[in-house]
Amino acid sequence: MGEVIVITSGKGGVGKTTTTANIGAGLSKLGKKVIVIDTDLGLRNLDVVMGLENQIVYNLVDVVEGTCRLKQALIRDKRYENLYLLPSAQTRDKTAISPGQMKKLTSELREEFDYILLDCPAGIEQGFQNAIAGADRAIVVTTPEVSAIRDADRIIGLLESHQIKNNALIINRIRMDMVKKGDMMSVDDVTEILSIPLIGAIPDDEQVVIGTNQGEPVISLDSTAGKIYLNICRRLMGEDVPFMELYNNKGFFARLSDVFRRN
Amino acid sequence: MLKQSSVSVAKSRLKSLVISDRVKCTPGDYDNICRELYYSLSKYMEITEEEFRVDICRTHILITFAGDET
Repeated sequence: MGEVIVITSGKGGVGKTTTTANIGAGLSKLGKKVIVIDTDLGLRNLDVVMGLENQIVYNLVDVVEGTCRLKQALIRDKRYENLYLLPSAQTRDKTAISPGQMKKLTSELREEFDYILLDCPAGIEQGFQNAIAGADRAIVVTTPEVSAIRDADRIIGLLESHQIKNNALIINRIRMDMVKKGDMMSVDDVTEILSIPLIGAIPDDEQVVIGTNQGEPVISLDSTAGKIYLNICRRLMGEDVPFMELYNNKGFFARLSDVFRRN
Repeated sequence: MLKQSSVSVAKSRLKSLVISDRVKCTPGDYDNICRELYYSLSKYMEITEEEFRVDICRTHILITFAGDET
């Protein structure tokens, strides 16, 4: 039975879609059968980040409405074995599907895939309700900014009230130079406030921008962010991977600056 | 005097925001909650303000008496 994980954040623009694409690619690289689903109806993006935008025939709404069979809508990512994308609809809005339909779809997908990753839209309205309906757990993405962390806290509260527990935190776009100067909140500052377990801390890495430009997951590029995404995937699979390169309770700054120096 | 780092400003703003969001009240209400809890408890037990702390979490409110391990 596969696991359904929703990638969510509350605030837009913190890196949910990039995170979904990279965790999807990473889990598939580690031998898992993965489907990534773009649940942001009307603002389709995951296909673009993954570089699969020219292969779309059918979409999520077509599947839910029965216009096509699931298999017809799935796009196989040829660069990764066992990575599939179910794209969103660009011309429909969030009311085109219901939480019940998402629940049904994800429970069918559990039979066939090891991981079902849902890229959640920003906000806490119906799009969010749809995306979390069938989820077992969530990955909450935030950046070290007041607004993003505040929204993340709200989202965690909402997830918990929907009985979605066992959630994990990704802190994205950390700039160690600024953290050192006391001008950006550190990993410890953020986890202190949000108090859910950290699953990854990702530096603001140029390679992520380059990867997104090219429609290429950063895990396939030689990059710090790529390595961290792979570690996140291992932790999701239940492996106990130490946060050695980037995060450690003691000497975190020293270690992180080491990583940057190596690059 | 040293200028307060922007992180400490961010953290204190954030803490106040998060508390207001969690209990759907204003930061002023939070102060009142703390004061009244302190007052209620002090009627029944000996506590000092330094020992007393109220943390508002997502699913519970935690009252701590610092210095007492039991």
